[in-house]
Amino acid sequence: MIILGIFGITLLIATYCTYAERKIAAFIQDRIGPNRAGPFGLAQPLADAVKMFFKEEFIPANAHKFLFVAGPSLAMLTACMSSAVIPFGNTLIINGNHIRVQGIETNIGLLYIFGVVALGVYGIMIGGWASNNKFSLLGAIRAASQNISYELAMGLSIIALLMMSGSLSLRQITLQQGGEFLGLSGLDWNIFYQPLGFIIFLTCAFAETNRTPFDLPECETELIGGYHTEYSAMKLGLYLFAEYVNIIVVSAVMSVLYFGGFNFPGQDWVRANIASDPTLAHNLVTILGIVVFFGKIFAFIFFFMWVRWTLPRFRYDQLMRLGWKILIPLAIMNVVLTGAAILFWPQLKAMF
Amino acid sequence: MTSIILLSVFGIINLFLGFLKSNKILLPAVIIFLAIVFGVNFLDWNNPQSHFNNMLTIDNFAVAFSAVMVLSLALILPFSRSYINSGNPHLAEFYSILMFSLVGAIMMVSYENIIMLFLGIEILSIAMYVMAGSHKKELRSNEAALKYLLMGSFATGILLFGFALIYGASGSFNIAEIASFSSNTTATDLLPMMEIGVLLVLVGICFKIGAAPFHFWTPDVYEGTPTLFTTYMSTVVKTAGIAAFYKLVWAVFPGLNEFWYPTLVAITVLTLVIGNIGAAIQTSFKRMMAYSSIAHAGYLLIALTSFNDYSENAVLFYALSYTVATVAAFGVLKLVSDQREGETYEMFNGLGRTNPLLAFAMTVAMCSLASIPLTGGFFAKFFIFGSAIEAGAVWLVVVAILMSAVSIYYYFRVVMAMYMKEPVGEKVAVDGFAAFMLIFLSIFTFIMGIFPGWFNNWL
Amino acid sequence: MIQNVFYFLCFLTLISGSMVVFSRNPVYSVLFLILTFFSISGHYILLNAQFLAAVNIIVYAGAIMVLFLFVIMFLNLNKENETHKSNLSKFAAVIAGGILLVIMVAALKDVDAGTYKAEGFDSQIGMVQNLGMVLFKNYLLPFELASVLFLVAMAGAVMLGKKETGERHF
Repeated sequence: MIILGIFGITLLIATYCTYAERKIAAFIQDRIGPNRAGPFGLAQPLADAVKMFFKEEFIPANAHKFLFVAGPSLAMLTACMSSAVIPFGNTLIINGNHIRVQGIETNIGLLYIFGVVALGVYGIMIGGWASNNKFSLLGAIRAASQNISYELAMGLSIIALLMMSGSLSLRQITLQQGGEFLGLSGLDWNIFYQPLGFIIFLTCAFAETNRTPFDLPECETELIGGYHTEYSAMKLGLYLFAEYVNIIVVSAVMSVLYFGGFNFPGQDWVRANIASDPTLAHNLVTILGIVVFFGKIFAFIFFFMWVRWTLPRFRYDQLMRLGWKILIPLAIMNVVLTGAAILFWPQLKAMF
Repeated sequence: MTSIILLSVFGIINLFLGFLKSNKILLPAVIIFLAIVFGVNFLDWNNPQSHFNNMLTIDNFAVAFSAVMVLSLALILPFSRSYINSGNPHLAEFYSILMFSLVGAIMMVSYENIIMLFLGIEILSIAMYVMAGSHKKELRSNEAALKYLLMGSFATGILLFGFALIYGASGSFNIAEIASFSSNTTATDLLPMMEIGVLLVLVGICFKIGAAPFHFWTPDVYEGTPTLFTTYMSTVVKTAGIAAFYKLVWAVFPGLNEFWYPTLVAITVLTLVIGNIGAAIQTSFKRMMAYSSIAHAGYLLIALTSFNDYSENAVLFYALSYTVATVAAFGVLKLVSDQREGETYEMFNGLGRTNPLLAFAMTVAMCSLASIPLTGGFFAKFFIFGSAIEAGAVWLVVVAILMSAVSIYYYFRVVMAMYMKEPVGEKVAVDGFAAFMLIFLSIFTFIMGIFPGWFNNWL
Repeated sequence: MIQNVFYFLCFLTLISGSMVVFSRNPVYSVLFLILTFFSISGHYILLNAQFLAAVNIIVYAGAIMVLFLFVIMFLNLNKENETHKSNLSKFAAVIAGGILLVIMVAALKDVDAGTYKAEGFDSQIGMVQNLGMVLFKNYLLPFELASVLFLVAMAGAVMLGKKETGERHF
């Protein structure tokens, strides 16, 4: 049930991401944006979807038929799979049973996300190669090398976090951030301990989702459409859609890892004062937490779009240099610093 | 243990020395590093210790073989003068990779756990794949690297499968536990699994030391690899492989003696015959040395088939004398082939007249390899055969002596070419360090041949 | 249920493993190899080794095979430029492989690998914590020395791959 719900919500958000992207672009460029279909153009994504479905399905003559279809399907599949382990909220108490607002709780949640994200690149590579087009292949190769390079820095930036949390479970990591910080409960977020790690992770997240300023795989000026040059109709739609799903997932992961997930400042006070019945209070806090969590996700999505319409694209060698020569050493330094801080934490505390 | 740590650290320091623009400092630095490691290595003499939950045992066996291998590298490196003079940009990497590979070699002679053996083999092999292809622009070097990599990876796969089966049967990676399992005759249920594992491991290790019928890569790889690294392959890699093999059959699988003994004897005979006959029909000196290394692996395997008080010392003495002679032979080859194109016998024509020193060193090396009395090689074979006769394998010794007679033919072809043919080229320029090393190696060979007792009772 | 999953995974592993060998197109071979890694990860999960399963996917399927695919796509191998193998070598390979198979089957058919013992089973054995304990306590030395292996491989790769001065860009 919950997993279907999460899946549906993810897809719904992804649909409206296309709308949001265009509206935000319009806002930043001082235009109006889509406003014809429905009030404020709200039906625009539906219209787009209908258009995508009814366009001609075209497969190039020399393409590898099976892989050509498999590419976008795989991209979509992996994008959707990763949302399964994200804890959207704390437990809901129904008839005395604690029900987690999460698809699957596993003790390797973070590794699961990494594994699935690592597989995401196959969708692009297979599609790009199967198109039998040099531009597609180049786009696919770029995507693959970019993903692999930035996965390293991403993993290293997370290791520092894991050293502090001691758990790979996303739920555990979230619950650990529910403590007090500056006198406010639910504000003990990792961002205050791992600012450098967060910045590295954020940069890598942009690269992993192939968003500007790292959207080299689909760089129009050099590669036409990159890996999806030959794609049309819903297969193209799936690729674009997968990108948005990936953005949602990565935003959710960032919220969980660094911004406290479903914790919100002052949650203990709210729990104590909102209702006299403890079960009801718990449930209300959980629901509030879910709302706050989605708020954090939307904030990150907005940030992604904001960056896209603000920053120009990197050059390919700059991208590689940033990944290998700056982010990875920085991430390793962060690991060492974190290790030293954990080791000497008692002494440091005694000093002040 | 200390030598492993020191070698790793020195290797890294050496990589950083590569940032200096001058190549001149590298060779002295590496020689000093190796001298330190050589000295520190002997701190553990007569003080057997096991480290890190029985991963590694540094006993006299390990110390002695580590010393031989560190010494070999130190003897080989002075012949890298041509790299220094030509300003090769990767010299620091060459030296460092060789030093790291020594870490693997030392792991192979001191392992107490199968995982350590496997890691050691891999460190050594991967370093060798790289060194085989280190002359990037040379087609033969590329071919050698590719061949070595593909065949070596395949052999590694077989080896690993063997280890997995052994682990599956015995439930442990520790060699003492595997040994007690294999000696325990009541555990017959899993014994076939163990036997298959032993067989696959045998195949894998035989590949690594280049024993027939897994020797096919040897001539091509040795020929294509730059001479400096061929020397390393045929000395250090072989010594490490044989020592690891010795420990494997006598410390890990002694209980399965009856099972692997016939296989090993068959491999030994095959290796002796193929190595010697193969060497006799070569026209290239370097290819001949490749087959000769196969043949010497065969002699060393004789010592493996006989386990008694003499065999350990015999293997050590043989490894040392073979190393000294091979380094001298390849050293002369490197000096000559750097200045006269080619690696055939004809290249050595008249060397006795143009470069008496090179010719003399080469002759001593060839005599030692052919086991002429007064050289180290004579006593090396003497001890090996003695150990085999002690174990009752007389017919094996007869085969080996017959094959030794064949070997005199091909080793003396180059001596004949040097002294009885007209010179083909100018005098070969020899730098002082290399000349000193050649003299040292020749004297060392004679010392081993005249006072073998000095080297024979270590273990 | 678990048994059926096991048999299904075995079937998948074997089929995709043999398809790696039999595929004409190297790209398909690589994709089947990825599938093989997946089914092996499935086996790990059945053995309660979740960490191993995830790492297998991330490292092998996610990184190494991408590089494989990368190189093979660049080479663009296809049927036309496949090197011809002589019948003799094919024949020899079949005989050698067949003999190995016969020996393995003959030897292993009598092996009694023992049965599952519930009392000796530790359900936490494949968890991250336990794996970490074993890795960093008992097997610390091989774990550390593996870094020498990687350092050698890395130094070698950089040395072989680095552009020499004066070499042209491609």
